[in-house]
Amino acid sequence: MTRIRVESLSVGYDRHPAVVSLSGVFEPASLTAVVGPNGSGKSTLLKALAGHCKPLAGRIDLGGLKPSEIAYLPQAHGLDLKFPLTLEDLVSFGFIGQRGLFGGFAKVDRERLHGLMAQVGLEGLERRPIGSVSGGQLQRALFARVMAQDAKLVLLDEPFNGIDARAAEDLAQLMARWPEQGRTVIAVLHDLDLVRRLCPGSLVMARQAVAWGPTDQAISPEQLTRARKLAESWNVSDEPPADVVQHTEHV
Amino acid sequence: MSGLLFSTHLGDQMTLMALKSAAAGAVALAFGGAPLGVLMIARRLSLMGDALSHGILPGVAIAFIFAGRDPVALTVGALTAGLIVAGLSSLLARTGKLPDDAAFAIFYLSALALGVLLLGKMGKADEMEALLFGSTQALDASGLVLAGAAASATLIGLALFLRGVLGEGADPVFMRTLGARFGLSHLLLMLLLALNLVAGFRAFGALMTVALMTIPAAAARFWAKGYGGQAAWAVALSAVSGLIGLFLAALWGAEPGALMTVCAALLFGVSALVGTNGGLLQTRLAKTHLRGLKA
Repeated sequence: MTRIRVESLSVGYDRHPAVVSLSGVFEPASLTAVVGPNGSGKSTLLKALAGHCKPLAGRIDLGGLKPSEIAYLPQAHGLDLKFPLTLEDLVSFGFIGQRGLFGGFAKVDRERLHGLMAQVGLEGLERRPIGSVSGGQLQRALFARVMAQDAKLVLLDEPFNGIDARAAEDLAQLMARWPEQGRTVIAVLHDLDLVRRLCPGSLVMARQAVAWGPTDQAISPEQLTRARKLAESWNVSDEPPADVVQHTEHV
Repeated sequence: MSGLLFSTHLGDQMTLMALKSAAAGAVALAFGGAPLGVLMIARRLSLMGDALSHGILPGVAIAFIFAGRDPVALTVGALTAGLIVAGLSSLLARTGKLPDDAAFAIFYLSALALGVLLLGKMGKADEMEALLFGSTQALDASGLVLAGAAASATLIGLALFLRGVLGEGADPVFMRTLGARFGLSHLLLMLLLALNLVAGFRAFGALMTVALMTIPAAAARFWAKGYGGQAAWAVALSAVSGLIGLFLAALWGAEPGALMTVCAALLFGVSALVGTNGGLLQTRLAKTHLRGLKA
């Protein structure tokens, strides 16, 4: 069980912070939705947790998790869809982290692979090339890959964007069950109905934490309006350099 | 320089022995090179093999200076140069500052220049030409052992690392999230490529060797969807074009490497036309079918 803690965390690009002085804890085996207006630093927070960009300030305590114990599904997958690869091949990449590069196809993996394909509703499509399936089917396969990784921390960045409603609902139900399996899940989500239905905890962001706690309290109309107003104030000044950091630290 | 571009001894009638060992070499090259060719094409790196075939030149030249026509020295020289060019360019590409092909261009062009300089200094272009032309007579016992070893190393390497190699090719971002060591599969691919190239260049000429890796692999795309299927098709097509090319070359006293490549190109044409995975005929038929539906 791993507790993820961030302390006075600032993350950004070219010294422009997208996340400013964020402090808090993601409890073990919890499911936290990260919501907030565009440009509020949600994706950047996930990237930082995944180890893809270094904090400008503050720190992240992953409780000793190794990179192979973190599954990160970015907003835009980096898949080359023309690559001669089947859905099954794609899902099997999830085993690499545990098996190492030498990991041939052990029998156990084969069986797990079939189980995973069935769980995400891709039975019978195992041999389909990745370039010939719908966005929803591809996302189902990517979810199966996340499950194959058997990660302790799962980071999902807008995983239900641009896919059909049926796939979105199926995958959201799967995601909601991961904490029962001991996984900590942090998901950037837009659909507030879905957040209220399935996510016990929420973090409302506008570069800093506007609200962080049980979803019914965190996602209130007042907090969301506050987040939007904060975000608008950032956008007006457009590129807020270092003085903004100081400003928020005083808030 | 033309030595690297077109292979073989003109005119010499091949002895039956030489034909047999050349055939064995061509089959070995098919098993080693074609599966790599499929990966190179999938990663849009098919010109990389081409580049690497020039990159081995300084190694061959240096080996020639010190050991003359000794086959072992030539092979070691070529392999060393190939590995250096492949290794350095992979490392440079890993930094993410340059795309793979640019990183490769820097090192292979430098190697090519160095090779040309060394050759010129030696002033033994004639002798050199016989070696660089590639000659099926050169496939002696040691050459065959090397070709077999290259094929075995490739198949074993791919069997062990296939997941990593495919993952790195299809989804490098994901592989990086697993940890930096997984980027090494790219290096493995380059090393195997260099090994197969070196195994083929003395017999068939460096560029023709690359051709036998990539053209059948390209044709395989018209027959199968997944990597496994494409690799199997590529091996078969490469072996068939190699054997037919050799046989015709022996019959007509023509250049084996070039004839093998022409055979591969013809098979590519046939595949593109009648292939079951998006061949021209198939797509045409599908279109007519759709038109019928509309009407």
